Order: sequence, then C-alpha cells, then structure tokens
Amino acid sequence: MSSLSSTRRAVFLRELGRALTAVVIALVVALIVIFVTSANPGAAFQTLLTAPLSSNRTMGLWIDDVAKLTLTGLAFSLVFQARQFSMGVQGQVYVGGLCAALVAMSPIGATPLAIPLGMLAGMIAGAAYGFIPGYAKARFGASEIVSSLMLNYIAILVVNYLIRAHLAPPGTGQLMTAKFPDPAIFPAIIPGTRFDLGILIALVATFVVWFLLYRTNWGLKLRLVGHNPKFAEYAGIRASFIMVSAMTVAGAFGGLLGSVFVQGRAFGNLAQNFDGNLAFEGILIAIVARSRPLAVPFVALAYGYLRQGAQLMGIRTDVPTEMISVVQAIIILLVASSFSLPGKALLARLTGRRTVPAAAPEAAK
Amino acid sequence: MAPLLEAISIGKTYPGGTVANDGVNLSVEAGEVHAVVGENGAGKSTLMKILFGIEQPDRGELRLDGRPVAFANPREAIDHGIGMVFQHFSLVPSFSVYENVVLGSEPRDGIRFDRAKAIEAVRALSEKFRLSVDPLPPVGQLPVGQQQRVEILKALYRDARILILDEPTAVLAPQEVEELFVAIRALVAQGRTVIFIAHKLPEVLEISDRITVMRGGRTVGSVGTKQVTEDSLATMMVGREIALRVDRAAARGGVTCEIKALRIANDRGGTIAEDLSLNVHAGEILGLVGVEGNGQAELLEAVAGLRGIAEGAVHLDGTSLEPLSVLQRRELGVASIPEDRLARGLATGATIAENLVATRLSDRRFVRNGLLDLKAVKAHAAALIERFSIRAGGPGFAVGTLSGGNMQKVVVARELAEQPKLLLVNQPTRGVDLGATQFIWKSLTAARDGGAAVLLSSADLSELLALSDRLVVFYRGKIVAAFHNTDDLTPETLGTYMLGLDTQEPETMRAALQ
Repeated sequence: MSSLSSTRRAVFLRELGRALTAVVIALVVALIVIFVTSANPGAAFQTLLTAPLSSNRTMGLWIDDVAKLTLTGLAFSLVFQARQFSMGVQGQVYVGGLCAALVAMSPIGATPLAIPLGMLAGMIAGAAYGFIPGYAKARFGASEIVSSLMLNYIAILVVNYLIRAHLAPPGTGQLMTAKFPDPAIFPAIIPGTRFDLGILIALVATFVVWFLLYRTNWGLKLRLVGHNPKFAEYAGIRASFIMVSAMTVAGAFGGLLGSVFVQGRAFGNLAQNFDGNLAFEGILIAIVARSRPLAVPFVALAYGYLRQGAQLMGIRTDVPTEMISVVQAIIILLVASSFSLPGKALLARLTGRRTVPAAAPEAAK
Repeated sequence: MAPLLEAISIGKTYPGGTVANDGVNLSVEAGEVHAVVGENGAGKSTLMKILFGIEQPDRGELRLDGRPVAFANPREAIDHGIGMVFQHFSLVPSFSVYENVVLGSEPRDGIRFDRAKAIEAVRALSEKFRLSVDPLPPVGQLPVGQQQRVEILKALYRDARILILDEPTAVLAPQEVEELFVAIRALVAQGRTVIFIAHKLPEVLEISDRITVMRGGRTVGSVGTKQVTEDSLATMMVGREIALRVDRAAARGGVTCEIKALRIANDRGGTIAEDLSLNVHAGEILGLVGVEGNGQAELLEAVAGLRGIAEGAVHLDGTSLEPLSVLQRRELGVASIPEDRLARGLATGATIAENLVATRLSDRRFVRNGLLDLKAVKAHAAALIERFSIRAGGPGFAVGTLSGGNMQKVVVARELAEQPKLLLVNQPTRGVDLGATQFIWKSLTAARDGGAAVLLSSADLSELLALSDRLVVFYRGKIVAAFHNTDDLTPETLGTYMLGLDTQEPETMRAALQ
C-alpha cells in the first residue's frame, strides 16, 4: 500500500501548501494595513508575529484560544461531514454556558462535582439546542442554515437578558454574574495563566470526534450521507436520522464549549456576549481542516496564534483596533476562499469531473 | 488539398498525471461523416474538448483549412465554425425552442429582442437541414430526440461548418436514430462536416464515411468504413478479440416476484405508471424496454423501496414489500444496481471499502456494538476487488479515482457479493467500456443462474436483447407489449411499440406476461 500512503501524503502536502500560501498572503495584506495606519510599522508587525510567545501569560491566552477554537471547529466539522450547514454553534455555546453557570451557582458549585456536572449540563443543553434545527429540517423541511442562525440570536439575547435581569448580583449594575466558587472553575495547569483544563478537554474531544466518525457505524453512515445522501437512501441508511443525530451530537460539543468558556479561568463567571464571536470562527477552522477532526487542533493552533497576535498588536501598538478586525477578516476571507472557491468547484463539475475519471485509467495501478 | 480539420500529435496530461491523449492524430475531410470510436477512457472526449476549445492541448497542433489554429475557449471554436452537441444537453427547459436556439446571439431590433426574426430563422434552418422542430413550445415538453435537434440547430444557427456529436444515439429509440441519420445526411449533402463519437459499432458503420479508432489515449488508425466489419473494428478498439455473447437461461424456476396492478405516482399525486402487472421467475432475466422516462426506472425504484406505491402490490416470495424499508427489503434478498452510479450508486468521496460495506451496516460481520470492524471491512473489500477484478490501488482508495467501468464494477460487486433473490438492474453498462461490459454481463447471468429473478432496464436495446429471456415494452407508463426473446425479435419490432406506433393483441401479451 505504499502507493496509497504516497497519494495521501501528496494530498496532505497540497493542502498544507494552500493553507501556508493563504497565511502568507494574509500577512502581506496585514503588513500593508500596518504600514498605512502605524507610525512604527516594524514594531507593530513584529508584535503581530511574536507577541503570543512573549510571556507565559500570552502563551496561556493563545492556548486558551486554541482549546476553544478546536471545540467549535470540531462541532462544525461534525455537521459539515454530514453535509448539513447548521450554523448553531454560537447558540449552543450560550445555552451550554448558561446551564453550566446555573450548576456552578447552585449548591453543587461548591462540591467537586461542579466541573463534571457543569460540563454535562452544558452538553445536554447544547445537544437539545442542536436537535431543534435538525428536527425542524427532517420533519418540516426547514432550512437548517436559517433556523440555526435565528436560534443563535434567541440564545444570545435570552442569556444576556437573564444575566442583566436575574443572574447578576443585584444593585451592582454589572453585566456578569459573580465569580463561581473555586471548585466550579477549571484548575490551571500552569499557575497564573489561562493554561487550564480546557486544552485537555479539547484534545480528548478531538479524539472522541475522530473515533465517532471513523471507527463507528454511526460515523460511517454520517459520512456516507454527507458524501451522497441519495446513495445513503438507496443503501438503506436512514438519512434523516443521521442528519438529526449529527446536529444533536455537534450541539453537545457546542454546549461543552459553553461550559469551557464560563468555567474556564478566562471568565469563571457568566458574562454578557462572552464568546466574542469566537464560536463562529469554527466555520473557518472546519473549512481549512477539511472537516477532518485530527487536523482541527493544528489549524486552531495556527489560526489562534494569528488571532492572538492581532489582538496583542491592538493592545500594545498604535494600530487601531478596527484595523485588527480588518486584518482578521482578510485572513478569514483569504484562507476560506482558497479552500472553497465555489467557482472552481462549479467549473470542475461542468468540464472536468464528468470526463476526467472516465478518461483516467485508474489513478494508481 | 489540405484536410478541413487536422489534429497532429495532440498530447494532453491532466493535472494529477492522467495521460488522456498521447500523440493523437485526426484528419477530417470536408463534407464527410467522420466517426471517432473507442472504449471509455480511450481519450475521445478529451480530443473533442480540445477541438472545441474546452481543453487546451499540452503538445501538438490543430489545423483548420491547413492553417494552425488554437482555441482558448469554446467561443473561439464557434467563431471558427465548429459546433458541438454534448451527450448531456445544455438547454433551458422553460424556454421555447427558438429562444434556446438563439440564446446568446439573439437577433436584435435596436435593443429589443426581435422574436419574429428569431422564429423565422429557426424555421428556415430546420427546413434546410430536415430537422423538423416546432420553434414555439418550451423545450422541456419535447421528447429527447427533439431536444437533440434543438441542440444541433443551436450549433447550425451559429454557422457551424463542422459539427461534433458526442454519443448522439445513446439517448434515442431506434426510429429516432434513423431520423437523426437522415438529418446528418442532409447536413453533409449541404456541405457541412460531421464528427460523430460513438461506441455502438453498427450505427458507426451505417452512418460514417471514415472511422478513426482510439485506444488508451492514442489513435490506433484511421480506416474507410467500407474496409471494415463490426468484428475487425471491435478488435481494433479493444486490442484483442472479444465475444459479446451470452447464454440464455437453462430453465426458469417458480415465480419469485409478483407485481400486481401497480400504480406509481409522483410527489403531486400525478400518475407516472399504472396497471403494471408482472411475474418474474427465479432464474430468468426480464427486460424492461422503453424510451427513457416511460416508467421503467420508476418501477425499479418502487420495488427497491425508493419510491412509494400508490396502488397495487409487490410480493417477493409471497411477502408484501410495501410496508418494508429499503434495508428490510435488502435483508429479504433484494439487490439493486441503480441507473446512475454517480448520483445514486456510489459515494465517490468515500473509499472503495466503505462503498462496498454501505449496504451491510447491520451485519454483525462488520459492525458489532456500533463499532466498525475495520479489518473485516478491508478484507471484504479486498476479496471483492479480487473476485470482480476491479482495477484499483486498494480498498483504501476513493471510488472517485476509478474509471467509469471500475466504478460500475464496485456497484455490481456490492450488489452481487451475496446471491440475491431479486435483482433490480438499470443501465448496467452505460458509459462502460467493452471489457467491463462483458464482465458485468457475465456477473448478471451468473446471478440469474444462481436463482435470482432479474428485472433489467436499459436504454441499449442490443443489451436487452442479448440478456433478457422475456421482454416487456413500456409506453407512457403502461405495459403495451410483451415478448419471449427469440432470435427473430428485432430492435425495430420493439421500437414500434416503444414509440406507441403499434399495439399488441391482449392475448399475445398475456401469454408472454406469465
């Protein structure tokens, strides 16, 4: 099977090359933006490239982002592999975070059960929230894109309202709850940093998603539905069950991310708009990782570095924070477009795909 | 005098290293019908795409009227007087015939689309070239043969001197093929040149003046049609002697599948097919004859469980199939080779092993406690690759990397891995080369000899006549004729019923339906 491993390696190298090209282009664009807006572009650019490594604390920030990006990337990878375009991770993060916070703020919060039960509550809530658009699609044909996006707004606004009106300490005017008791907050792996249990949870989750997709009956069915739903139906696979269950399981990972957010050392409480739109960046992670769970942490590592570098550049240099968002958006645009040029796919379908396999006497004899 | 169109040592390598053309030569004289034949994967389509500017050659040269030319895109090829009709039409179904013909080069009156002039132009063209089509109805309402004429008119409207027809007969009934040939002769009589891609050899011999044979990305040679026979041509194509003969069933068994007064409806409740009553016996192949879209495919889908049954019943060995799911039917011994392997028969992005096991995911050999036994899955795939001589790198390769014939073998291998009781087959060898066709036919007859009742639908009448023990003809969703397959049954006889030109005596039909 040496030919197989060599083709796999070729594919891997091609994908890696693409990702690196996109990153380089993004950096060039970032450099231009920096030159236009900064009095000291050299220092600003250096900050962008090196700041995440500058101290234990910044490395902790970076790794904390990596853990969260990995989890959202996994949740998106699962639904993308089933070719469902549920965008509901953000909503799942909020309901998951809310339920984890409720556990942490209850009497259980002071016991050693606070962390596992908080995570479990988050996962159940997220799963339930992921189930809704799946069921609506299977039962009523509702587009999962629209319903999941709408559910995101509902979750964010309801959670924000609950924090403001009921959960924040009365009379303080704060838009966050009080800190959870210590047993409900993830222990730090390196004291004094955000390097906490989150990254371990993310790595275990990576393995679990990989195992589910590639070693179980359910995962094979899910991937077959994703490859070709009509084939799945013909082969006797219940596509709608797979669809709903994929969205539900992905929802559980979204909810878990909610728990990692609120119980992690970065917060340790439930605040309004706590996810900072990070949940959505999982789409990018999943696209670049081609929805392969084992590639997700690596993509998260690279993307998280750029993201953290850009944020630190915003704090430490004179590059305005708005420009940081522009640079981030450009990175997203470039990386995403180099992977999913719809025009390219269409062209391939119109011209190549019909004939290339026919004209090709086996890729490898 | 230089030939009208010449391709000289064309080479084309696709990204990924597939050599599609390697030193291909083609020389087409003005006013001839030039056939290009070869198996699938021989490089015909690539060559045509190069001639039409869709692909650019890596090596070699094109000459038109003796002058070198290069087409960067189809537009330039059209400007040089080359037109192409693809196997899959590119028509707008809701637009009328004349709108489709002039689309993109509309006659104008100021900035207005001059409809009267367009209709007039289309009428004039269809008269001149004996391609009678009414310019006014929407294209979507026309039968396939008429749609093809619209495609040809499209090319002629753009002043094509050279017309490339890519497998034009694949979708036509025999009578429609005749009409197409009349039109081709009219085209040539008026000085146009036709390049005709095909792999049905009798048709090639009938219509063409010269034949270029391709094999494995190279041209084997160019011969005058009068100098070859079907056998010598087949040998040139394949490079070895092949025999496409099948043994008929020795004896048939009892009734396996009984279809009674079946009605099939579409999503809106409209009737697609009705009053279908058939018995299929163990050990026989029952051929479903008909122009595509007359209900044969829907019957197979209804039996497989992919489509609802509006009225009537389907029994397999006395068990009603109607309440059963696809999977339950499969467990009873129903196997099915679907019409379009890419659309329904395979997940091309998944590996060969995954495709081969997809219908057996409740089998304890491969799945226990919800976990895949990867070793068993791989061994299963390796055994089937061996048994069905699928040319592939191994079980772990994506199905999408295989050639059409080998993809179809994956489908056949999956469905025939275990002896089925009822085998539903639709277009088993469409777009498959002769070698694989021969193999697939053998596999089907082996399943029949093993006791399977086989329902076979195909657009290729010679395939139906070669394999079937009995044949029923569909026309507009009804069975209009039934035959025992004897040597004096001809495609033309079947064709008259396929087009609804003739009806059979009820008694004759009933006798052949039993």
